[in-house]
Amino acid sequence: MMRQRLPVWLKRSLPEVSTLNTQSILDEHRLSTICESAKCPNRSECYSHNTATFLLLGDVCTRSCSFCSVPPGKPKLPEEDEPVRVAMAAKALGLKHVVVTSVNRDDLENGGAHIFAGTIREIRKLIPGATVEVLTPDFCGNWDAVLEVAHAGPDVFNHNMETVRRLYSKVRPRAIYDRSLELLARVKQADPAMITKSGFMVGVGETDEEVTELLADLRKVNCDIVTVGQYLQPLDRKMDIVDFVAPGRFVEIELESKSMGFREAYCGPFVRSSYHAGEVYERSHS
Amino acid sequence: MPERYMKEVILKTPTKDVVEASIAHWHFEEGDKVEKGQDLVEINCDGAMYNLPAPATGTLIEVYFESGEVVEVGDVIAAIEE
Repeated sequence: MMRQRLPVWLKRSLPEVSTLNTQSILDEHRLSTICESAKCPNRSECYSHNTATFLLLGDVCTRSCSFCSVPPGKPKLPEEDEPVRVAMAAKALGLKHVVVTSVNRDDLENGGAHIFAGTIREIRKLIPGATVEVLTPDFCGNWDAVLEVAHAGPDVFNHNMETVRRLYSKVRPRAIYDRSLELLARVKQADPAMITKSGFMVGVGETDEEVTELLADLRKVNCDIVTVGQYLQPLDRKMDIVDFVAPGRFVEIELESKSMGFREAYCGPFVRSSYHAGEVYERSHS
Repeated sequence: MPERYMKEVILKTPTKDVVEASIAHWHFEEGDKVEKGQDLVEINCDGAMYNLPAPATGTLIEVYFESGEVVEVGDVIAAIEE
């Protein structure tokens, strides 16, 4: 719980429209969202607009990254009807751009890739006009698993770098910087037309030069879209915020990204990889 | 002598799964006049700052939690005499 006074640019409005409709649809279909599990500060806005990012494969994670509030634990076996339930909920919410992510399932040989692939297919069947965005874990570098998801044909394949190379051991101790880059490269190689996307946090101790290096590394693997947001400590026991990055710096990063050739860059204090994902996808095409 | 009513200020958060928030800053002090809808208190939850509006016009007669304290949703955090 943040006890200090936050900078003025982190002020939000209480939602004027109820978030209960979204919550009841999620409950009815027994689904989790990363919005809630990660304590996303945007969720009241998103829920009040009938938008949510579905969290597949349970709500406990086999990793315990320093920045993330999804609880670690021993997950249950995947529920094979989850893809259908996600598609039904997405239809009930009226989503035109459906974003699905998952916890890390390092306990499963394929990391749960078949659930991702099944979800993409079920959404295509039930909502033919909708676009689908996946935000995947690194599948421990199991490239067959990555390609199983890619071959199911999402419109956007997102894998977040989360932070700069130097801070991986602090922020994502069980991930590998170059492995995450390779994942994005392999997706692009498998389908050059597929939009690839990645995101990272600032305010965790990175330097401006390291941000530039990360952006350049993403461009080297032909990543199309980048999102950058402020790290906000979701729980007291999670890593501290090193600094609050001023809005002007986000503008600089966005301009720098676009000058480096990203099709779209979305940067701001409250930006998360799924925030306004449909609009970001649309802009990447314009 | 007109009748006076007490209006409780209750902690609300943006979504129902948020069960607590911290008081970050009171915009008024006890004894100050407030108008319904004016930003009364700044709270922090889930990394964002929200302003709770005054639920009534009147005098802020009591503040029950100081800046920095963590409060549960539904708790009465202040009182306004209408």
